[in-house]
Amino acid sequence: MGEEEKHKVEQEKPCSYNINDNADLLAEILARLDGRSLCAAACVCRLWGAVSRKDAVWEALCNRHVSSSATDSSFPGTRTVVAALGGYRRLYRRCVGPIFDRLAASGDHGPQSSAVAAAAAARLSLSLFSIDCYERLSVGGRQRPSSLLFLGSAVDVT
Amino acid sequence: MPKDAIDTNPLVLRNTFAMGRHPYHPQPTDEDSSSASETDTLLAGVGYTVRSSDLLNVADRLEKLDSTIIAAAAAGVPPEFLCSSAVHYNPSDLASWIDSLLTEVPPQSSPSMWMDAVCLPPPSSFSIDAHRLGEEEDAGIRLVHLLMTCADSIQHDDHVLARSLIDEMRLLLPLIGVGYGIGKVSIFFLDALDRRISFLPQPTKSVLEDEILYSHFYEACPNIKFAHFTANQAILEAFNGCDRVHVIDLSLMHGLQWPALIQALALRPGGPPALRLTGIGPQTPKVGLRLAELARSVGVPFSFHAVAAGRLDSVRVKPGEAVAINSVLQLHLLLSETGPIDSVLTLIRELRPKILTVVEQEADHNKPAFLDRFTEALFYYSTLFDSLAASGGGGGRVDVGCSAPAEVYLQREICNIVCCEGSERVERHEPMGRWRVRLGRAGFEPMHLGSNAFRQASMLLKLFSSEGYGVEEVEGCLSLSWHGRLLITASAWRARADSAVAPPACHRYIVW
Repeated sequence: MGEEEKHKVEQEKPCSYNINDNADLLAEILARLDGRSLCAAACVCRLWGAVSRKDAVWEALCNRHVSSSATDSSFPGTRTVVAALGGYRRLYRRCVGPIFDRLAASGDHGPQSSAVAAAAAARLSLSLFSIDCYERLSVGGRQRPSSLLFLGSAVDVT
Repeated sequence: MPKDAIDTNPLVLRNTFAMGRHPYHPQPTDEDSSSASETDTLLAGVGYTVRSSDLLNVADRLEKLDSTIIAAAAAGVPPEFLCSSAVHYNPSDLASWIDSLLTEVPPQSSPSMWMDAVCLPPPSSFSIDAHRLGEEEDAGIRLVHLLMTCADSIQHDDHVLARSLIDEMRLLLPLIGVGYGIGKVSIFFLDALDRRISFLPQPTKSVLEDEILYSHFYEACPNIKFAHFTANQAILEAFNGCDRVHVIDLSLMHGLQWPALIQALALRPGGPPALRLTGIGPQTPKVGLRLAELARSVGVPFSFHAVAAGRLDSVRVKPGEAVAINSVLQLHLLLSETGPIDSVLTLIRELRPKILTVVEQEADHNKPAFLDRFTEALFYYSTLFDSLAASGGGGGRVDVGCSAPAEVYLQREICNIVCCEGSERVERHEPMGRWRVRLGRAGFEPMHLGSNAFRQASMLLKLFSSEGYGVEEVEGCLSLSWHGRLLITASAWRARADSAVAPPACHRYIVW
């Protein structure tokens, strides 16, 4: 009985707080999502889409893959380099996401188990990303760069 | 028939057991054991080497054989397999005879594999019925034998026989699935042999075509990526602590090896060094510009210098810079009898490199005897095509006339190994053991590649969708393998301290 009344009262009270009023807080929250959820969040509304496209959000996601601790153990210059090569969002979409998925699926322990393996996977991601960036420079946007096709599902590269 | 005599008709025996009677089941009574030994004698008398105690097993197997025959007949396998290709060694040994029949009967769900010789990979579609598959495998093995015989006849200059064998092989081709496995490779070798005895001139190559084929091969399988990543790791480690570095690439092509090195140098703790890149050999236009743009965007001071193919002597080394020389699948091109391999290696040593990275195919395609070379090449390229098909870069099952570009890239190598001689034959692959001797003679000592390179290579290979790739470490060199067969080996070298080398001079020209 008491609960029903409480519920009625809550429904009648106007909502005083909306997450959409505070984009920074929204960014902080979205930065804790995994890749797929982040993409889904980007489809919610224009504001969420804009916040999800911020590179800082994807940077947090990428760094989480590299080290589980909150303190960032990557080199200070990484952000500049990644930004120059195309940004964290692209890095995640083209390299980090598929690589970590594929490594986890291939069994053994995968990069989740050890910091050394995670760091190695991150370095590999950056290397492949740089090749992708270089190819985009070469083809000038006319055709899709193909060096990372092998990371997708089995494709016929004829 | 007397009461305790045995009707040795197997079907009668089975019926006896089926009726629940076990007259021959061994029981520990004197009477039974004596009758069992009597039974044994009687069986031996009519020619069966089976003990009465085994007969229960025999009957069981007979029942199984019976049901398998019925099922096989229902699945469409002709029952005459029992008298055609099944090999019976000793029908009087009842038990093992029935076993041999049972092991030769195809299981219901999959086509049979009766050959104990070379086992060909099964096709991806199981709609071919078992009898035809047997024919196909027969034809495949026959084709391989014919290829060897043809190569042998060419070695003995018997071109008439070679021509007739080639014609016979062409007739055999429609019987084999040519979209995969031995069939696909055989076509390339067959064409190459045909070219050789027809004395056709080699097709003219265009640089653009070379570049396109190379980039398809790069995408289709991990071989070249493995080469690049492993060499880069070795170069990165060698450049530790150096402020000015110079990389000389003996075959620049698209320059796909260098973005990763540039990025790794940019992120080096302590900041990036100044990087000079000298690219020798055929290269896509504007390679230098693009690499410079990439390097500029990540903050690595960069300069590029292009040198025409074969002009290693015009490379200038500045004092105080650490030099790395990189050769991916290049050095074997210099191995002909009049080839400049020794002078090139001397030149390289005189540049005083901090590291020389050498990546070469792990195969012996430089044997003087044609048949040996042909055999080696046949099996090496079969493995390579297998790996290509599994990576999805082979184009799957295709018609004879349409090959994936990656395969055409390999076909050119095959053609060169089989058709050409003398200075025209440039694909002179040699295994790492021989390179070790040659480089040792030229004044180089090996550097071990280390666990970082190994870990990176293993991780890279895990990303490829097919399960057969592996990394092997042999005496400090890393090799890419497909199901255990080594395909390509990466190694690192430095000039031996004791070898007498003149100190580098500023802006020095080496005339050779």
